[in-house]
Formats: sequence, C-alpha cells, structure tokens
Amino acid sequence: MTTIRAAACAVALLALPVSISGAAPVQAVNPTAAAIHAFRQKVADYVKVHREADSKVPSLTETNDPTKIAVREAALGQAIRELRAGARPGDIFVAEVRPHLIALIQRDFAKRSRTSRRALVEDQPATLALEVNMTYPTAIPLATFPGKLLRTLPDLPPELEYRIVGRHLILRDVKANIVVDFIRDAVPTT
Amino acid sequence: MTFLSRHMPWTSLLVLAICSTFFPASGDSWTGASAAAAVVRAADDTMPPVAEGSVRFAVLGDTGTGGSAQRQVGAQLAESHAVFPFEFVLMLGDNMYGSERPQDFERKFEEPYRPLLDRGIQFYASLGNHDDPNQRFYKPFNMNGQRYYTFRKGDVRFFALDSNYMDKDQQAWLEKELAASDSKWKIAFFHHPLYSSGARHGSEEDLRDIVEPLFVEHGVSVVFAGHEHFYERIKPQKGIHHFTNGAAAKLRAGNIRVGPLTAKGFDTDHSYMLVEIHEDTMHFQVLSRPGKRVDAGTVVVRVPAATTATKGDR
Repeated sequence: MTTIRAAACAVALLALPVSISGAAPVQAVNPTAAAIHAFRQKVADYVKVHREADSKVPSLTETNDPTKIAVREAALGQAIRELRAGARPGDIFVAEVRPHLIALIQRDFAKRSRTSRRALVEDQPATLALEVNMTYPTAIPLATFPGKLLRTLPDLPPELEYRIVGRHLILRDVKANIVVDFIRDAVPTT
Repeated sequence: MTFLSRHMPWTSLLVLAICSTFFPASGDSWTGASAAAAVVRAADDTMPPVAEGSVRFAVLGDTGTGGSAQRQVGAQLAESHAVFPFEFVLMLGDNMYGSERPQDFERKFEEPYRPLLDRGIQFYASLGNHDDPNQRFYKPFNMNGQRYYTFRKGDVRFFALDSNYMDKDQQAWLEKELAASDSKWKIAFFHHPLYSSGARHGSEEDLRDIVEPLFVEHGVSVVFAGHEHFYERIKPQKGIHHFTNGAAAKLRAGNIRVGPLTAKGFDTDHSYMLVEIHEDTMHFQVLSRPGKRVDAGTVVVRVPAATTATKGDR
C-alpha cells in the first residue's frame, strides 16, 4: 500500500511541472494599482507633449515686463493645444482611474467636519464651462487644494497640478495655465 | 498774504473750507488732494524705529484690486515710510484680483506703490488663490521664478510659501530650508492663515497640520498671513505669533468673531503693518487707512528648545 502511495505521489510530482508550464501564469493584479499605473503613463505622455511645446516657445525668465509673461503663457498654451488637437476628456484621467480618484475625494470629504466641507465648497470658484485645452480664466480664483487630500492622490510632476472647480476635479498645466483634463462631479455636494 | 487769498474771493475760500470739513473724501471719490490731507495723519501716528541698523519692513495682504482703498493705503504707507524708513515689503498674496493683463500689473501694483518703488523699496510676494502662479516671473515681486522661496535680511530668514498648493515637494523643501537656516529669526509668510477668527474662512486646518510641526520644530517665531480681509493678532500658538493682514485693499467689515484665538482684531477699515526687528525683539505697529494706529507691541524671538515652555501661552 505504501509502495502504491509513493508511486502515486511520484507520478503526481512529475506531472506538476508539466501542468504548471502548460497553463497561463496566474498573477494577482491589483486593479487600483493598474489604474494608477495607466494614469501615470498618460501623465508621462503629457509631460513629453508639454516639454516639446516648451521647446518651441521662447524661454521665460524673470522680467519687469508683464507683457512677456502673458505672451509666453499664451504661446505655450497654443503650442500645447496644437500638439493635442484631438484631446478629449478622459485622455489622462482614464476611465479606470476615475472611480478610484472619486472614491479618494469622497473618502477625504467624509472625514471632514461639516464646517470644513462647507468651507472647501464655498471657497470654490463659480461654475466654469470646462473644456479640455481651455485657458483657465485668470479672473477666476484658483481655489486652495486641500493639503491632506493632495497627499492621497497620485503624485504629479511639476508641470501639472490638481485643482477643484465647482464640483469638478481638473488637471491644470501650471505654466501654460490650461485645463488638461477633468472629472465632472468628483466632489461631494456637501 | 498768500497768492490764493489775494486772488480768490473770500467767499470761495469759505465754501472750500466748509466742503473740506463736512464732506471728507470717501473711499470711492478719493483724490490726490484728499490723500495729502489723510497721509499727514498717518505720518503723525507712525512710530519711528527704535534702533539703528535694525531690519525694517512693511506687511500688506490682499492688495491687488487697483481700487481707491488700495491707493489710499499705498499713499499712507509711503507717508509712514518717511517716519519709519522700511527697506522692503512682504506681500501676503492676492496680489492681483481679476484679470492679469499687463495693464493690470500697472494699475494693481505699480501705480499704488509708485512712491515706494521709486525709492527703491523691494517687494517680496507670495501667491494667493486669486494669483496666477506665473506671477513668480514678474521681477518686481522678487520670487526668483519660484512659487516658494527664501531670503535673508540681517538676522532674519524669511520663508515665502505657496499655501494654495502645499504638495510634498514644497513640504520637503520647507523642512530642508528651515533645518539648514542658522538665522536667529525665522519668519514665514503666505496667504492662508493657520489660525483665524474670521467668519468667512476661519483657520486653514489642512495646511496647519502639515506646516505647523515644522515651524515648531525649527524655531519659526512669527507667521504672517492674509486671505481674511481684516487685521487679527492671534494669541501665541505653540509659542508662535500669528498675524493676519488681509485688508490692504479689501475689507470684510465686522467679520471677526472674537473668540479664544483673538488677541487683537481690527475689521472696521483697511490696514497695514510696519515691523522692526532688532536683536531679540520684534516691534510691530498696525495702521489703518485713515492713519490711526490700531495695534502695536513687541514679540521676543523663539528658540526651538523653548517650545515646551511657551506651550499654552495666552
């Protein structure tokens, strides 16, 4: 009996590598990590576009002439718009990362006191008709981005920043002052 | 007998005198002539410096309207400068409300402070929520093209922060710069107050949780902030003195809800602050748009080891 069992085990062990190598490798994939990875890849692609556009316009150093600042900002924005002519909402805030980012924002708001939530919402600028590649109007304030929430969201390179406008999360190009992408209704109402 | 009294009928002089007495220039109809009358009062109430060779500066917050109140405060500040010759000005953000076209830089910054700029007074700006961060490239703001930066004057190291966007990079930079500084005085200035009794905004708790531990650990003595459109001196918090100066052009009258934080508040008119640092003492005075001194006092430098001893200061 013992001999039979030992033989069976040996057969089973011999067969194991065959069966493992024969099947597709099973790897646990964290969907959130994959979504963030996809987002980061899109951000990296955008930074390449930004840098290409940046190389096409005169470089900006400190100046006494505010006209030069305005002209440079507009030129950079225009160069980016031309390079991203077909850009659409969701190109960077890809579909798979959107629910994750919304969940992070909602979780952050849920932890805040009613006063804190109200202060954040009241501090937001008036509703803005968002479009990808639009210039962020300088007449509308850039509301403070809550520092603690910022620490929960995926890090961004210096070319980009998150902002909240009304109830929408936007991705803004800092030097070109343009809206690069957005997620509508990401912020809870109260 | 003056030229005027020889050539103007006495009745006209009488009318002029009555108008000047009973119809003082209002905020919106302010003119150069009424400014001259107002700034005399400001100079009268401005205290001169206490010591030679001290570090002297002015503090202005929420300035960039281009309106009459900003011009009036600018004129008062220039008059104060004659009595209290400060070297530079700290700007606490909202340097430019609304549009930021080239002509706005002129109307909302250069014109109101022209007398000071002409005297070579340097302005050091921080960014508010109404500011395009590209203001950092505007040379008269002395930001060296950075959203956050540091500079030293005598024994004082200043840290200008961008409180709109306190990301990990800025936090790491702040920690590194604070740790590296051996200055006796460390002063931080930025837009959003860590402590405030304002009904409109109140304390910026998110920001406070991030930067206050660094300020405490590395010996920051004083914090200047704006955002709230009034003046408030906060009772020392964890040994640090906080001042809110956000009424150099905008005013939210009656907005201070006096409570346990308030040491002194002024929310009935516009205001600006003058500061002098000499050895271990900071002397401050706050003047209103009509030139009245509304607060004054001294602050003693804080050293990190004294943190425990000063905890719970009132």
